[in-house]
Amino acid sequence: MSFRRAAQLIFLIIFLALLARAGHIKEADLFLRMDPALVGITAIAARMWTWLFLPALIVVLSALLFGRVFCGYICPMGTTLDFSDKCIPRPTGKTERSPQRLSPRLNRYILVFLVGAGLAGVSLVSWASPLALITRFYGLVVYPVTELIADQSLVFLYPLASWLDIRSLMFAEIHPSRFTAQFFVLVLFILIFAAGWITPRFWCRYLCPAGGILAVAAGKPLLRRRVSDECNGCGICAQKCPMGAIDRLHPERTNHSACISCRTCEANCPQEAIEFSLLARPGSHMARETGVSTSRRYFLMAGAAGMGTAALSLTGLHAVSGKETEGWVQPARLIRPPGAIPEPMFRAACVRCGECMRACPTNTLQPIWFAAGFLGMFSPAITPDRKYCDPRCTICGEVCPTGAIRTLSAGERVWARTGTAVIYRQKCLAWEHQKSCMVCDEVCPYNAIEFEKIADLPYPVPHVKEDRCAGCGYCEHYCPVTNEAAIVVTPMNALRLQAGSYREAGQIRKFNLSLRPPTEGLQPKPYPGVSGGEIESPEGEAENGSEELAPGFDRGY
Amino acid sequence: MNRRSFLKYQAAGMLWTIGAPFMLPGRLFAREKTDVAVVKGEVQAAVRKSVEMLGGISKFVKKGDRVVIKPNMSFAVSPEQASNTHPLVAKTIAAMCKEAGAARVLVLDNPLAPAEQCLEASGIFAACESLEKDMVHMVSRPGSFKEVGIPNGRTLKTTDVMKEVLSADVLIAAPVAKSHSGAGVSLSMKGMMGLIRDRSTMHRRGLHETIVDLVSLLTPQLVIIDATRVLTTGGPGGPGKVIEPKTIIAATDMVAADAYAVSAFEWYGRTYAPSQIKHIRLAHERGLGRMDIENLNVRKISV
Repeated sequence: MSFRRAAQLIFLIIFLALLARAGHIKEADLFLRMDPALVGITAIAARMWTWLFLPALIVVLSALLFGRVFCGYICPMGTTLDFSDKCIPRPTGKTERSPQRLSPRLNRYILVFLVGAGLAGVSLVSWASPLALITRFYGLVVYPVTELIADQSLVFLYPLASWLDIRSLMFAEIHPSRFTAQFFVLVLFILIFAAGWITPRFWCRYLCPAGGILAVAAGKPLLRRRVSDECNGCGICAQKCPMGAIDRLHPERTNHSACISCRTCEANCPQEAIEFSLLARPGSHMARETGVSTSRRYFLMAGAAGMGTAALSLTGLHAVSGKETEGWVQPARLIRPPGAIPEPMFRAACVRCGECMRACPTNTLQPIWFAAGFLGMFSPAITPDRKYCDPRCTICGEVCPTGAIRTLSAGERVWARTGTAVIYRQKCLAWEHQKSCMVCDEVCPYNAIEFEKIADLPYPVPHVKEDRCAGCGYCEHYCPVTNEAAIVVTPMNALRLQAGSYREAGQIRKFNLSLRPPTEGLQPKPYPGVSGGEIESPEGEAENGSEELAPGFDRGY
Repeated sequence: MNRRSFLKYQAAGMLWTIGAPFMLPGRLFAREKTDVAVVKGEVQAAVRKSVEMLGGISKFVKKGDRVVIKPNMSFAVSPEQASNTHPLVAKTIAAMCKEAGAARVLVLDNPLAPAEQCLEASGIFAACESLEKDMVHMVSRPGSFKEVGIPNGRTLKTTDVMKEVLSADVLIAAPVAKSHSGAGVSLSMKGMMGLIRDRSTMHRRGLHETIVDLVSLLTPQLVIIDATRVLTTGGPGGPGKVIEPKTIIAATDMVAADAYAVSAFEWYGRTYAPSQIKHIRLAHERGLGRMDIENLNVRKISV
C-alpha cells in the first residue's frame, strides 16, 4: 500500500469514527469544518464568522503551500470516490472517456454560483459541499443499514448469549436509526459514483466547489510536480493522471489547480523524470505550468445565476429572510432542535450535513423534505412521533459545524424551549373517551401537565401548563392515541436566540421551566378538593368526608 | 359525600365484614402462615425480615433458578423523590436470591425515559453493581421481547413480554409504593407493565382491565413493596408529597400486597379502601388474589 492510500484510509477511518461517535466525542464535526466550500459559503450566506471555521482556513493554506493534498490524501469524499472508481471496469490503458465539452473550470463556476446565492443571503451549499454530502451519505444511508444488520445479529445471537450468560451481549441495545429521505441521498450518490464511469474522480474534477477553492489556492504551490529533462514525452503519466492535470501533448506541463499530488505520474514514469519537490532538479528546464484562466464572462454569469436562483427561491411561499414577516407560512408542526438560531439565520447557517441527525441519541431529528419549501430542504426537525427530544441532551448543538444549533450548557438547555404542547380534547382518551389515562402527565419531564377532575367525567383529565412546557415531545411520543397523538407539540413560544441566555429570555417571558425534581422550590399543588391535612392513623377505613377522589380512584364497593 | 351514601357505605362495609367468613376461604383468626408481612425499620433488615416471615427466600428461589426482579426504575430522579424503588431494596432482594443459590439474577425494567439516566439517577445500577456485575439492565428494543398469548385475558389477549422474563423461573415484584394519575396507585400489579413492550394499547383498551389481564399472565411469586418512602401525590413521576413510613410489605399474593399498601397509607391526603382501586377490585373478583386483608393474616413488626 502506498503512503497515499494509507493516509486516505486512516483519515477515512477517523472521519467514520468521529461520525459514529458523534455526541460522545469532542470535535466530531472536525472534517466538516475543514471543507472550505462549506465554511466559505456559510460565512457569506449567514454573514458570520466563528473560530469554528479555522480548520478550513488551514486547509486553504495547505493548498497554497503543498497543492491540493486535502483532496488527494484527506477528503473522505475523495477517498470514497477513489474506491468506487476502482470498482468501475475500464479498458486497460485508457483512463478516461474524456468529456471534451466539460470545462475543467466547471467547479469554479459552481463555486461562484454558490457565492452569488450566498451574497443574496441564501445558502445552497448543502447541494454541493463534499463534506456535507459525504457526511449525509455515511450518516443517513450507510450507518443506519449497518446498525440494522448489527441489531438483527444481536437478536439472532441472543439465545446463544443467554445460554452462555454473556450479559453485555444479551442486553446490548443498538436501536437502529431510521431516516426519511435516505433514498434521495442514495440516488444522488449513485449518480456521483456513476459519473466515475466517464472519468475517474469526475466529481472532484468538475463539480466540487471545495475543489474549486483549493484549485484557485493551488495555482502554483511550493511543493509541486516537477519534470526533469529525462522526460521523453511518452504521455503515460497523462494517461494515468486521475485528475487530468497533465497536458497530453506536453506531459512536462502541469495544471497544478487540478493536481491533487497523488504522485501516480511519479510512480508510473518509465524515465523516472517526475518528482514532487520544493525545487526543480538543477539543470532542468522542462518544468512548466499550464494555468487555467477563468473566463470573466462565465464567471459573472455563474455569479448572476446564483443570485437569480437565490432570488427565485426567496419568492417561495415558505421562504424566510431577514425578519419573520407578515404571513410567514411555516409548517404547523415544524419543531426545530433546541438551540436552533432564529429561522432566517438558521436556514442560512445550516449546511444540512446531517451530523445532528446522525448524533441525536433519540433519532428524533429528521431531515425535512418540502414542508418548509425549497430552502428548508434537508434541515433538521424534531419528530416526536419517532421519539422525544431529551431535555438533558445537548448533543445536536455540540456537533453542529456552523453554529446553526447553538452549543448549550446543561442549565441553559433546560430553557431552550422548542415549542408548546396542545391537547386535542376530542381525541384524548381521558377527555373524550372517558378512560383512565394520564400518560402525558406520567412522562412529562417538565411536570407541565396538570390533571383536573371534571364533574361529568369519571377520570381526571390533562391540561398543559403553558408556562411550564418546553415542547420536548415526550407527551406526544407516548400518547396512546395512535397515528396522530391527542397531544402534539407546536412551534409556539419556541425560544430562538441568536445570542444571549435562554434562561434570561425565558424568564422575561414568564416561562417557568425546570425538570422534575423541581430545581427551584416548586411546591406541588394539592389536589383540588383536598384539604391536605395530615393523617394520624391511616389504618381505619376510608373516611368519605369529601366528594373528591384522588386521581385513578373510584367509589369502590 | 352526603349522609345517605355515607350510611350506605358503612352498612355495606358491615355486611361484607360479617359475611366474609361465610363467603371466602379465609379465616378471621391469626394463623401460623403470614399472608402479608409488614416490617418497619432499616431498609435491608426490613427486607430480609419480611421475606423471612413468609418462610424465607429459599421457599421461593431454588438452587440454580433464574430470577427476574422487577423494581421501579424508569424515572431519572433520585431515590428520595420516591418514583423509583429504593436501591437498597433491589440490592437486598438480589443478594438474598444469590444466597439462595440462584443461577442468574437479573434486575430488569423497560423505561420511558432515557435508560442510562434512569440507571444512574435511581441509584439501583450502582447498588446492584457492587453486588454483582451486569445485573441491572434496561430492555426496550423490540427484538428482546416475544409475543405471548394471555389465556385468561379478557381485553388484552396477547402481549410482547421480555424474553428473559419468559425464561425465568422466579419473578419478584419490587415496586415502590406511589400514587399514579392513571391507575390510582402504582404497586406490584401496575409495575408488571414494565416487563412488556406495548403499553399504549392498555390505555386505549382500559388501563385497569388490562392490568388485571396482564397480571393473570405475569404473576410474581413474591411481592416486596418498598414503602420506605411513599409518593402520596403527583405520582408516578412526581414531584409530590413524600411520606416516610420506613416500611416493607411482603406477600406471595400481589393483590393482597397491593390492597394492604392502599389501605395503609394516605393518598392525596386521605385514606381509601383497596376496593376503590379498580384493578385491585377486578383482580380480587377474578380470583387472582385477595383484597380482603381484614380476613388475611397481616403481621406487623418492627426491626
